[in-house]
Amino acid sequence: MPTLVSVFDLPSTTAAAVRKLKDRGFDDLRTYSPAPFEELEEAEDPKPSKVRRFTLVGGLSGVFLGFLMQIWMSLEWPIKIAGKNFASIPPFWIVGFELTILLGGFFTLFGLLIVGGLYPKKLDKHYNLRFSAEEFGVVVNCEERDVAEVEALLRGESAKEVTLADS
Amino acid sequence: MAPPATAVADALASPARPRDSRANIDIMAPTKGVQWPYFLALGAAVLGVLQALVVLLYQTYVGLGVAGYQQPVFWGLYIVTFVFWIGIGHAGTLISAILFLFRAKWRNAVNRGAEALTVFAVITAALFPILHLGRIWKLYYLIPYPNQRSLWVNFKSPLLWDVFAISTYASISVVFFYIGLIPDIAIARDRATGVKKAIYTVLALGWQGTGPQWKAHSRSVLHLSGLATPLVLSVHSVVSWDFAMSIVPGWHATIFAPYFVAGAVFGGFAMVINIMIPVRRIFRLERYLTDYHFENMSRFILLTSTICGYAYAAEYFIAWYSGVEFEQSSFWLRAFGPYWLSTWCMITFNVIFPQLLWIKRLRTNLPFLFGLCFFINLGMWFERYVIIITSLSREYITGSWGLYVISPVELSVLAGSFCWFSMWFLLFLKVFPVIAITEVKELEIHARDHGGAH
Repeated sequence: MPTLVSVFDLPSTTAAAVRKLKDRGFDDLRTYSPAPFEELEEAEDPKPSKVRRFTLVGGLSGVFLGFLMQIWMSLEWPIKIAGKNFASIPPFWIVGFELTILLGGFFTLFGLLIVGGLYPKKLDKHYNLRFSAEEFGVVVNCEERDVAEVEALLRGESAKEVTLADS
Repeated sequence: MAPPATAVADALASPARPRDSRANIDIMAPTKGVQWPYFLALGAAVLGVLQALVVLLYQTYVGLGVAGYQQPVFWGLYIVTFVFWIGIGHAGTLISAILFLFRAKWRNAVNRGAEALTVFAVITAALFPILHLGRIWKLYYLIPYPNQRSLWVNFKSPLLWDVFAISTYASISVVFFYIGLIPDIAIARDRATGVKKAIYTVLALGWQGTGPQWKAHSRSVLHLSGLATPLVLSVHSVVSWDFAMSIVPGWHATIFAPYFVAGAVFGGFAMVINIMIPVRRIFRLERYLTDYHFENMSRFILLTSTICGYAYAAEYFIAWYSGVEFEQSSFWLRAFGPYWLSTWCMITFNVIFPQLLWIKRLRTNLPFLFGLCFFINLGMWFERYVIIITSLSREYITGSWGLYVISPVELSVLAGSFCWFSMWFLLFLKVFPVIAITEVKELEIHARDHGGAH
């Protein structure tokens, strides 16, 4: 399958190209950006990121495990302190809160690694260090019969270079 | 079907011609090459750490008596310095998380340095409760671990809350710092060679700036900011409850949590300015760290200094208004007792000097700011000294009053802590970019795309 590698200067034109490609049904594409731009992220995938689920699960696990740990440990070795219940809830909020944040934070990190596919690996064939400088890349896989249309579409949105990388 | 002629022509012209951005070149420059002044500074820091290590070995062998611990003051310089460093660690998270949530774009130039400062300040602070234990090999008693006697830690004790608060804060600060670094490490990876490239390749985790990666990254930073904001407010509140939950005169005050948090932000910003001014000058980063950034930080300092001034005044007012003899004596002794000098240094450096920042010209006068922030750091250290030492040395029964004198061992460890912090910061400067490159680019490209409006 042919692959077209295009290079853009601005996030707005890159996002416009991505939107047009998707409208025409060219969904097998990937963008590269030197910095985060919401318009580009929205154009490529408007669905909310799944990282939020990790954060929620982490936070809820933290508060649950935090209270469970404290209540269980206080009851396992019951010592009366300052006339309070063995498992006295108000002071337990502190450690419960800290563990909510701790597990929420760690789960967010795991979410980023899993959802973003981050692990030491070989870089994409079409990744270029220009994309970690100031330029934007859109890599499109399409049928051979669509190459001319995709190229025209990319150039129409101010792609400064379009290259047929392989077929 | 043959590909169109234009695409073939582009392929032959090899579009992979590397062209780097100015932000990459400027901001990565400090990580390249090492000059002798850097080695000198690093060597001095390492020597400072080594001397403290030797002294600590001596203290561990002989006992805490050599650290000036004697009736009635058993929370001495180590706890003072612990609170000081924890406070310093607050500016990073404030800049990274809270200003991120408020969409204050000026933070982009200073957040990386401030985050690094937070991480190193917290790992410095975390050493002090351990040194304060005396029997440092019993460190693991602090955490709840399964043991034969089924003994568990006391979850109703503020000291244990502190263990959880500090370790959570240290962990989340490291996670936040690392997540922010990943795209910049990828920039370094793409331009490094040899061993450096291999290390950056592992640390960059295959980052390429693809759409899904940026999306996951942006969401993670947002969620972590949401988590870190209440965390940063809780950490110094919990530290303040180490004191406020007791009934020692001068400590037992409900104002302590907000008072400590404001003080932490105040001291933290002062340290950020104290570090970023020389960094900007030495590494020629004037294009990225502008007077505008320092002016904004000065405004924070002015605001938090005023809050501190209010807290100091409120403490004295409530001590008088309460009619409690012990409180009144405690505060009278702070101002006119044996430690009067520390109290007046605290008030002068933290409340009076920063009022000069009402003058706009001074807010952008970097030599003045550097000097002012040095005194603020000194003042914030004195604040913790005043709170801890004056209250403990003059509690209830006059017969048990005593005079605390700083020991040479404590001074040596205090100096060592600054060297330890400096050592990590100097190493950081040579390994990672001190300004978040992708965040600077985000602003620059956005301005270019939308005609300078952002």
